[in-house]
Amino acid sequence: MALRKKKRSEEWESHMVETPTVGDRIVDVIVYTLCALVAFCSVIPMWHVLMSSVSDGKTLLAHEGLVILPVGGFTLDGFKLIFKNASVIRGFTNSIVYTVGSTGLGFLLATVTGYALSRQSKLKPIVTMLIMFTMLFSGGMVPTYMVVKSLGWVGTPWALIVPGCTNAMFMIMMMNSFNGVPREMYEAATIDGAGHWRTMFQVALPQAMNLGYVIILNSVVAQWNSWLPASIYVPNKKSLWPLQLWIQQITADNANFLNSANPNYSRYLIQFAVIVAATAPIVIAFPFFQDKLEKGVIAGGIKG
Amino acid sequence: MSTADAAKAERLSDPKYKKSWAFDFKKNWALYIMFVPVLVYEIVLHYIPMFGIIMAFEDYNVIDGYFGSPWVGFKHFIDLFTGEQFMTALRNTVCIALIKCTIGFFPSIIFAFLLSLLHHKGFKRTVQTFSYLPNFVAAVVVASLVMQFLAKDGPLTLLLSKFGLENQNWLANNKIPVFWIIYLLMGVWQSVGWGSIMYVAAISQVSGDLHEAAAIDGATRLQRLFKITLPNIMPMIIMMLVLNVGLSFSTGFDSILLLYMPSTYNVADTVYTYTYRMAFGGGTTNYSLSAASGLFQSVVGTALLILSNSLSRKLSSTSLF
Repeated sequence: MALRKKKRSEEWESHMVETPTVGDRIVDVIVYTLCALVAFCSVIPMWHVLMSSVSDGKTLLAHEGLVILPVGGFTLDGFKLIFKNASVIRGFTNSIVYTVGSTGLGFLLATVTGYALSRQSKLKPIVTMLIMFTMLFSGGMVPTYMVVKSLGWVGTPWALIVPGCTNAMFMIMMMNSFNGVPREMYEAATIDGAGHWRTMFQVALPQAMNLGYVIILNSVVAQWNSWLPASIYVPNKKSLWPLQLWIQQITADNANFLNSANPNYSRYLIQFAVIVAATAPIVIAFPFFQDKLEKGVIAGGIKG
Repeated sequence: MSTADAAKAERLSDPKYKKSWAFDFKKNWALYIMFVPVLVYEIVLHYIPMFGIIMAFEDYNVIDGYFGSPWVGFKHFIDLFTGEQFMTALRNTVCIALIKCTIGFFPSIIFAFLLSLLHHKGFKRTVQTFSYLPNFVAAVVVASLVMQFLAKDGPLTLLLSKFGLENQNWLANNKIPVFWIIYLLMGVWQSVGWGSIMYVAAISQVSGDLHEAAAIDGATRLQRLFKITLPNIMPMIIMMLVLNVGLSFSTGFDSILLLYMPSTYNVADTVYTYTYRMAFGGGTTNYSLSAASGLFQSVVGTALLILSNSLSRKLSSTSLF
């Protein structure tokens, strides 16, 4: 019935398209133009960086304004430089380690907690309250730093992997997700003699993965893009810097680029190349996961 | 049946025992084990730091720790509120938060309405995909883009100079409200597409029958937009607005750390960046002062969130918690 209704209204819409009034036409032109403008503004800065990264360094430095196509001829010098640059490569591998470690640990924690919260026990309301309260109030930057420091994690990768690996939102989302698995599944698993651990991983989790993937994707993006924890916990250990801190450093260095005598102009391209290299994986992968992430926003927004 | 067994059976069937912790633990011990990691995580990384807030009332030093450092009461708060630097930061925080939840709140809604007026499905999807991308670009990269585009010979500066504005490095401009507008526009650029998802979903749930009936009665598309779609998603708009206000004081200031410089502290410094700088900014560190500043922000942020949440519950019968 609902389906038929929808179809009818779609037919109605298409009927509307066939006989637009002058007013409708004007509205259409404005709406399509504005939407195209939003789309254009959304991608043009990244396009500018992409085209700059394959331009010629010296020409680019002298160039003013937007770079729509590579200036001074197409080169890959910038990318060649970053792949020879040991610290950028190191930043890349660090970022991968932090992202994988933090997401893996965080998802495991969110899964186990979410499952336990979805079952009835006397501890459940207490833990729920403890978790919810962290959404409201936090100790703040310095007291957290002191705890991480007394754990001996400052200046080690642990400070970047463990403290931010999960959050209240993820755990509550997993709880909701486990609550959404039909009760019969749990009952059948119990009758077949499966304990809680087996029920969670083998029976419930595969069914709860709809939101699970959303959590993993969100976590991967957030960890890959994160820079603040690194600037707090490993500011002086360049060997532990994630890629994002290198981007910040290289951008700052580029501002003083001309001060150096006899500059190597290809080095000017590094900033653009490293931005492209750091952003491309997410931007290329994004359209494949767009639907899942959209659903996550809606699921997370409606009563977390 | 022995008396011991009988006693045990009686104890087991006692309703009081069934409600006891011992019974629950025996039945659900696996769940109790599952709660251990999260309890450790929350206590160590969230609740001990909350206890650590007492350092805001001490002259904290690392050697003496929480219990050995001298107690100074509200000294640091008095220092904060009589110091010019913090008061400037507080003013900037309030102004940026206000701008963010007034002007910065509407672009997503307007964009969602525009999307709802598109007929062409493929075009709509493409526009949406493009508009989502900025949300996935790292904060560091966004800051780097802002610096490039607003530099003295940057593309946006050149565009603005065509409208008669002076050619300059806009980020170095410390007149009100230049930095605030830059920060607002940066936020809008990042979130306009992604922020519209909720509204697009809400708009698509408005009944098609209503539109059909109105159209038969001769309502134009714009009339239907304002008379049907808008009233239907109003509760949601109110909820989002109230929650935005609730979060505005405590979140969304970290990118300023990437954009400000000593010469623009008078307009760009906020409570958050002040807290950061006092502890990790290089130069002299004053952990206790930083903790006091952070505590102030947490308390105001929490109060605002609770207030807005109860307001949201009253206004639209929806709430975050």
